[in-house]
Parts: sequence; structure tokens; C-alpha cells
Amino acid sequence: MLNRRSLLSLGAGALALSVSSAAFAQQPTYKIGYQLPLTGNTAQYGVDFKNAAEIALDRFAKANKPFKVEIVFEDSRSDAKEGVAIARKFADDKAIVGVLGDFTSGVSMASAQVYKEAGMPQLSQTASHPDYAKISEWQFRNITTQAQEGPLNAEWMYALGYRKVAVIAEQTDWGQTVVSNFADKFKALGGQVVFSEFFNRGLADFRPILTKIGRERPDAIYTGFFYEDGAQFLKQAKQLGLATPIHSTSAAYNQQLITLAGGDSEGMKLTATFLPTNPAANVQEFVAAWKAKTGQAEPGQFPAQAYDAVNIMLAALERAHAAGNVTRKSLRDQLAATKDFPGVTGNTTFDANREPAKQLVRAQVKGGAFVAVQN
Amino acid sequence: MSVSDPGRGRSLLWTALLLIVVFAVVPALLASAGRSYLYQVANLIMIFSLLSVSMHLVTGVAGLLQLGHAAFYGVGAYCAALLATHFKLSIGITLPAAGLAAGLVAFLVALPTMRLVSIYFAVATLGIGQMLYVVMLNWVPVTKGPNGILLFGGLQFLGFDLSKPAPAYFFVATVVSVSIYVLHRLSHSYYGNALRALREDDQCADAMGIDTARLKLESFTVSGFFAGVAGALWAHTAGYISPADFNFNVSILILSMVVLGGLGSLPGAIVGAVLLIGLPELLREFKAGDYRNIIIGLVLFGAILFLPKGLIGETSALDLVRRQFGRGRSIPGHEGGVGWK
Repeated sequence: MLNRRSLLSLGAGALALSVSSAAFAQQPTYKIGYQLPLTGNTAQYGVDFKNAAEIALDRFAKANKPFKVEIVFEDSRSDAKEGVAIARKFADDKAIVGVLGDFTSGVSMASAQVYKEAGMPQLSQTASHPDYAKISEWQFRNITTQAQEGPLNAEWMYALGYRKVAVIAEQTDWGQTVVSNFADKFKALGGQVVFSEFFNRGLADFRPILTKIGRERPDAIYTGFFYEDGAQFLKQAKQLGLATPIHSTSAAYNQQLITLAGGDSEGMKLTATFLPTNPAANVQEFVAAWKAKTGQAEPGQFPAQAYDAVNIMLAALERAHAAGNVTRKSLRDQLAATKDFPGVTGNTTFDANREPAKQLVRAQVKGGAFVAVQN
Repeated sequence: MSVSDPGRGRSLLWTALLLIVVFAVVPALLASAGRSYLYQVANLIMIFSLLSVSMHLVTGVAGLLQLGHAAFYGVGAYCAALLATHFKLSIGITLPAAGLAAGLVAFLVALPTMRLVSIYFAVATLGIGQMLYVVMLNWVPVTKGPNGILLFGGLQFLGFDLSKPAPAYFFVATVVSVSIYVLHRLSHSYYGNALRALREDDQCADAMGIDTARLKLESFTVSGFFAGVAGALWAHTAGYISPADFNFNVSILILSMVVLGGLGSLPGAIVGAVLLIGLPELLREFKAGDYRNIIIGLVLFGAILFLPKGLIGETSALDLVRRQFGRGRSIPGHEGGVGWK
């Protein structure tokens, strides 16, 4: 039974609660989850993402916004088992309103099943699997898919007068899309794909493949690899005296490629959405912050995508906060409404299928650096 | 056997106790924590318990070092996922089908390799494991290769939707408990003793009239069957599978569970799975960060150094099982004999 004293204390408690919640209302903190590989075979990518995210968060904290944001990083080791467990963990935490990651499409998609069920917006900076964004209305990505990049490269190479092209790519979901999207367009244009093969990531010896390519005498080679494999491929191509022009995708865009392959990377052409040499203020700000934080050379394509992904998430959060309603659902709706977001990887707009449309630039390795070229 | 047989009463008591833990205590704890994350970890532990116990039958009891167990796990998962996506079948059908498919593959693999012994057998299974992995990765028209397979159906059984964490837990727990019971009966029986004889000295066992080739074939097939069942459970609970889930590292992970728990010890295999799946997640809870892998490595190293026979060595495990679950000690004239029936 309630007596007067307990009523009083109840009232005092309620008062204290409302005062403290009022204090909180002035500066609420929202939590974002970030699942990424911080250990294991792909740790170098996850660590880059973490650095990029911290740069973005720092910049956000300094901008005097009406709320605070905390990012919870969890190491998935690029393992689906761990990714799904992390997804459950994030979904359980009521304070987490949105999730970034994972790195590989496989882990992103396994986790996406949980986010779909839990109703949690998920924005991956790198998941390029054609079916990723189709899983549910909760999945977004900030990477141009090969559906956009492949045809663009096909047109570029066709315009350069190449008619017979050899295509190789790594044997992953992404590599599959590299080959199919390019080959379909190139054939439609009237070109010929004279050779097509997949290799396993981390292949040490490309010479058998290179010899087979040489035998077909293609006008050019189109490649789908990341910088580690790319450097091996370029070096061994030079050793075998293969002078065929080599084209690649934005995945190969990384200063490490030039560091590892040295002069053998000279002349390689690729498409990219991010060039650290871009004089735009936001790009130079990011590049400077990156160099200061990591002590490395210029950031590659992927950290730039992660930086933008975090910023897109923060911008959506800000709009949701301004509308006075920050929930997983409202954040998802705000993400979907992202239009012409000015990022370092170009302006980003999510289409109805939550796929980003971005501007791609043509680049070439010249004098040990990636520079923009016309053709 | 008379009803008043004390061995039987004790066995029933222990079985009931274990069932209460798995079906009442653990779910009650999970429900009170109210976190789907913990359910996920529990499911993973159970799936890997089944994997390690099924490998225990071949590697621990029969003494055949198996380095390709993840491949049978993968065959089961792919079989279940393909049946579920192409024919919209529920887990009631895909689960036994996955077991049979993996068992069949294991049987076919076993036929030519059964004459091999020790390290030669290990290398053969390593090769076969890699071969099956490469098939999953490169047979794009069927397995979709590295794209993996998405299952949209969730976990449906007899028209009930079991996709929510708690029902999924009970489903996985039931399947795993029944499977482990079968494996327990196989490894703790005259049949298991025959397998152990084979492990200790196959020529001697042969001379005693044990058909060694047949025993190896059977145990390998049964082990493959249950790995396939575990694969179906993973496919349906995760909703997405890709070849990376079944690579060589997973085979080594399962082998580590069996060795850590104790070669030849069924309770050990379960403890190994609990530890090697649970510990990394526990350390995640304590925010151990990058030290996670180092701590797990140290635990493995320390366990092998100080407990070379495993956390629950075979002798003590057999002793435990015989004393608490052993039935039929009352064979006339054989009291205190082999202890199995």
C-alpha cells in the first residue's frame, strides 16, 4: 500500500528522472555498430575502415552538432559465423540505430539476414554482390557495382580500338560480376572476349595464365583483382615480356599497388571514384587527415568508401535527429532519402533499390602515381 | 535385466539431468538474458558440438585422422540450401536429405581410401576436403560459386515458423541431442570397442575376426551423415552460405575441438566445441579486442602442453560414461566385465 512517504519519494524519483532526461535531451548520444575484419586474412582492410571511420567521427565531433555519436567496432575476422553473432549482438542493443559493414559480401549477406529480421539499417562500404541490396529494404551500400563499372570499361576499351580482349578475375562473387558485366557489354559493342579465366585470391604464380593469355594475342587485358594480386600479376607480366595494355577496376586502385609492383605498374589504366590528387577541398581534407592519423601514403579507394559511408550515415542521423525522431526505421528512411551527398568518392544518391549511383573517373599509372586521364 | 538394476536407474537419472540442462536450464538462462545474440552463440555451439562429436567417431574412436570434415559439413549445407531454394522444401525434408547426401559422399570417398593408414589417410582426406571445397567454389551453375546461396524461407518445420531465436534453439537442440545420442551409442558399445581395437592395432583386430575395412567404411559414412545434418542446421539458421564457411580452416577448427577435449572422448568433443566457439565470443564480451586470438592460441597451447590427453581424456571419459550411463552390467557371469551392451 502506498503511504505518503513512498508517494513523495516516488514523486522525487520521477522528478529526478525527468530532470536527468531533460539534461540528456540537450545532448543525446546515438550508437552506430561497425562490423569489420580487424584480425585475420583481410585485417588490413578492416583496420583501414576503422581509421577512416575514426577520422569521420572526429570531424563530426568537432563540428558542434546537437548530438553525439558513438561507433561500436566489432571484429568479424571476415567469418560468417562471427558476423552473424555480431549482427545479433547489435540487433539486441536497443541503443544502436544503424550498422556499417561488413567487408566481404559473404559476411555482409549472412549478417543482413539478421538485420532484415530485426529491422536495422545496414550500410556496407564494400559489399558488391549483385544480390546484397536485394535482401531487404534495410540494406544499403556505398560501392559502385560492376553493373556500372563493367560497361563503362567496356566502352572505354572499345573506344580505344581494342577488339580482342582477354579477361581474368579472382574467383569470388565480386570477380564473377567483373567478368560477366564487362563481357556482356563488350560483346554487345561488337568486341570479342578471347580468353576468360578465374584465379584464387593470393595466387603466387600467374605465369601459366599469362602464357595462355599471350597465346591468344589479345589487343588488351581486362582484370578484376585487388592490389596484392594485381602487383604480382603486373610484375610477372613484365617478366614474361607481355606488352599488352592492361585495364582494371576501382578495386585495384591503391597506392600499395604501385609500391609493390614498382615500375611494372606503369601504364595500367583503371576506373575509380576516388583520386587523392583531386583538388576538391573535402578530398584534400580527408587525405591530410589520413596521412596524419595513419602515417601512410594516400588512402586507397576502400578507405575512402568507408569514410563516405560513415559520413552518409551521420548525415542521415542528423536529418532524423532534426525531425525529432531517431529510430532504426526513421534512420533507414533518411538513408534512403540520401541525395547528392558530397563525398570524397563523388556525389552519392541512393536509387529505389538502395544502390548508389556515382561518377567514375578514368585514371592511369604515370610516374608512380594515379593520374586522371581523358582516355 | 531387472528393473531394480541400479545401473539403469543411474543412467536414466543422468540422461534426465542432461536433458533438463539442455532443454530447460540453458533456454531459461537465455530467455532471462533476452538477447538473441546469446541464442546465436548457443546454436553455433550446438552445431559445432555435432560436428566435433561426428569427427570424434572417426578420428577419436576409430583413430583415422580426418582433415576434410568441413567438406561433408559443406555438402550437407549445400544440399539443404539447394533443396530449400529450388524446391521450396522445409527443413523436415532437407535435413535428412542433407545427411544422406553427405553420408553418400563420405561413403564414396571412403571406398578407395579405406586401405590407407595413418598419415596417408590424413593426406587423402585433406585432398578430398580441398577437392570438395574447390567444387563448391567453382561449380558456378549449381552452387553459384563464390556468390553463395541465400535462403529466404527461414526455418520452417511442419508448417510452423521456427525462425525466432527461441524456437530455433529448441529445434537445433533437439536435432543435435538425438544425433549425439546416436553417436554416443555407437562409440560407447561393443561397436565402439571394435573401432577402438581397430585404432590400437588394425592387423590384430583383423586377426580377431573384426572386418576392419567395413568398420572404417561404416564409421566414416555415419560421421559424414551427421556432419551433413550439422550443415543443414547451419544453412537454415544462418540463411546464407558460401564456400568460405567450409574451407580447410573449419576442418582444423573441428579437429582442434576433438583434440582439445580429448581424442576418443565424446564429452571432451562437446567441451572442446563449447570452449572454441564460446571463448572467442566471451572474450568479445569482455572487449579483449585484438588479444582475442592470442588468448585462444595460448589456451590451446596450454591445454596440449599440460593436458596432452585433452580436457576430459578418453580413459576418464569412458569411465564416466560407463559408470553413469552404462547399462547391462548384469550379464550373468560378466559382472564388471566390458560394461557395454
